[in-house]
Amino acid sequence: METVEKLKIEDVLREKGVYVGPTVGVSMLPMLKSRRDTVVIRPKTERLKRLDVALYRRGEAYVLHRVLAREEGGYLIRGDNCYSDEHIPEDDVFGVLTEFFRKGKHILCTDKKYLKYAEKRIKTYKTRRFFVIFKGKIKGAIRKIVRIFIRKKKSVR
Amino acid sequence: MKIKKGFVLREVGGETVVVPVGELSKTFHGMINLNETGAFLWRFYTVDHTIEEGVEALCGEYEVEKETAAADVEKFAAILTNNGFIE
Repeated sequence: METVEKLKIEDVLREKGVYVGPTVGVSMLPMLKSRRDTVVIRPKTERLKRLDVALYRRGEAYVLHRVLAREEGGYLIRGDNCYSDEHIPEDDVFGVLTEFFRKGKHILCTDKKYLKYAEKRIKTYKTRRFFVIFKGKIKGAIRKIVRIFIRKKKSVR
Repeated sequence: MKIKKGFVLREVGGETVVVPVGELSKTFHGMINLNETGAFLWRFYTVDHTIEEGVEALCGEYEVEKETAAADVEKFAAILTNNGFIE
């Protein structure tokens, strides 16, 4: 066993060739649950391809999101549970998800079932987005009705 | 001696790595690389055991002299203690 070294993920990837750690955040749900699942990241050795999950930095925070398409000089990227796209320069991406542990189950990113999930997640984006917006509008309308109802009740008194 | 709850052992590319999960991952941001004996002792000390029991277990699992095993377990225990991994 080695002692704990305080290194950045980039340093760990450079020195050890692999980083294993917990996930934090909701952007890759339902695949990765915050602080429950474990990700295995390896250094980027070649251009990533569609469906790969890229690791890059946004300021001080590390971001692990899926590649939707290659672009000139970078990638079009989006989290599985996000509703906005990002254009990330090639040089900003330094790692790629190669495997992960979901609810303790070890899944390789080359696994056919996993790739099918990833493809489906991208293909159903528009439908999911529609329902998220629809749900938001319904909630807004309910809130408005409740507010009107309360106002009317107060004015009756 | 017992290792804190909140760590999980993962086998990755033939290596054993320990990572935090749940609440512990808010305070401990890192990965712990273990060699074969380290992984054995880590598993052993997820249940409360004494240093002596660890030495016996190590001698039972591997062909190793008692003195060497004792030195290994003590070194392992010191690392766990110094890094706050013990309950």
